[in-house]
Amino acid sequence: MSLSVSIQGIGRKFGSMQALADVELEIEAGEFVSFVGPSGCGKTTMLRIVADLEKATTGKVLIGGAVPKEMRRQKKLGLVSQRPAVLPWKRALDDVKFTQKVAGRVGFPADQLLRDFGLEGHERKKPSQLSGGMLQRVNCASAIAHDPELLLMDEPFSALDEMKREEMGEWFARELEVRPRTILFVTHHIDEAVLLSDRVVVFSASPGKVHEIVKIDAPRPRDKSFRETREFIEKTAQLRRTLFHDLAAGA
Amino acid sequence: MTKQDDQHSPTSPVFLGLIGQLLKGPAKVLLPIVSIFGLWYLIIYTSDLPSFVIPDPQKVLLSLIENRDLITEHFLHTMKVAGAGFVLANVVGIGLAMLFVSLPVSRNAIMPAAITIRNVPYVIIVTVLALAVGDGFATKVTVVTLAGFFPVLVNTYRGLQAVDPIVLDRMRILDASLWEVFVKVRLPYSIPFIIAAQEITGSASIVIAIAVEWMISRTGLGYVINQGMMAYEGELVYAVALVAAVFSFAVYSIIHHLGQRMNWAENNDR
Repeated sequence: MSLSVSIQGIGRKFGSMQALADVELEIEAGEFVSFVGPSGCGKTTMLRIVADLEKATTGKVLIGGAVPKEMRRQKKLGLVSQRPAVLPWKRALDDVKFTQKVAGRVGFPADQLLRDFGLEGHERKKPSQLSGGMLQRVNCASAIAHDPELLLMDEPFSALDEMKREEMGEWFARELEVRPRTILFVTHHIDEAVLLSDRVVVFSASPGKVHEIVKIDAPRPRDKSFRETREFIEKTAQLRRTLFHDLAAGA
Repeated sequence: MTKQDDQHSPTSPVFLGLIGQLLKGPAKVLLPIVSIFGLWYLIIYTSDLPSFVIPDPQKVLLSLIENRDLITEHFLHTMKVAGAGFVLANVVGIGLAMLFVSLPVSRNAIMPAAITIRNVPYVIIVTVLALAVGDGFATKVTVVTLAGFFPVLVNTYRGLQAVDPIVLDRMRILDASLWEVFVKVRLPYSIPFIIAAQEITGSASIVIAIAVEWMISRTGLGYVINQGMMAYEGELVYAVALVAAVFSFAVYSIIHHLGQRMNWAENNDR
């Protein structure tokens, strides 16, 4: 089960600063949509409004036809943040189970989930004993442990080094085939967005609004080899032009 | 010789390390005793202080044995005062910290008063309380509580605030109740901070309890010190000091030991 997301005329003001203006976006159930854009374009704010972690000044968001708060109450949302939101005193396995306990729902058996995420043998380690990549995998596992129907990801792999980041992107593309769901994904990395997304939404800054939407039609599953295809290279180039040329010139 | 045998030969590093480990326990106890008594004798033989100011250790030990019933009786009184004050200091300190976090306006209202109380000399608090409610158990416990709650309050408050906001987001997206956030996230986050406060408040409770007894009470180690002083019985005063120091050290060690086992920040094996 997945949920559609309808973003209708969202605006957000911080004091006199217009962070977001008139954002309109329809996201289908099961779709993977990335938000990219220059810093300060409000893409993270947009994600947090969908997550009901922040309030919009104008407009509304509907998730599967209901307001975000209602979906949050039904434990249908999941959140992956840039820094792992793991509890420093909990072992990996306990951290995953913690999500399930608070949500009151076991989406996937915790030990199975960690094994699928390549963490076999690390289940009993605490965050301080795990590497950055492993920690982010635990973070992802904890975020989807209750099988949320909409997963919100805020630059989940950005804190990792470049090789690790690419590796995690490819791993996550495979993971998507196993446990598909609607995903909103904020990132700075064009290649990551093209690799994973059905559509890439480019935000422009001050005020933040939708500048362009790029569709990525390549079939799934997508793996490393997709990076060398014509479509990948073209879409990446197109996004680079928009981000570094059009938007930079406008700013 | 196989590699395994080699590890157990009397000269191997592993074997010597083991001896070192075995000696570590007794050395921990013996070294302080040697250093304390060494210093004590050194002062006696190099200074001209009269023996009622600095008596011989053997006389002190003798006095300790002679007066063991008296000291035990009053030690128990002190323990009760210090123990009750310590527990109440925690109840007040942790309770106020919880209140401050859940109701921020209460912090602005209560904190100035808490700081004021903390900065009033204890002598004045003791005097006022003694005039108001007498020199009984309640007065002594109140003074120990007032002297000890502040470190607990400040540390617990800092601990409860030390939660990573990202974890709070995680709890919110799962629609966790305020109570769940408190018990499952904020409180565990504050444990290292609360433990640090116990090490301060634990020893302070004993010192303050004895000081209050010394001032106003007819029971407790403080009172015995008073009596010993008035009779120029230096040995008795030192005997009490010895008991108090050992007690205080034991309390500190127990808290420290328990603290390390509970402290997630320092312990990966639990």
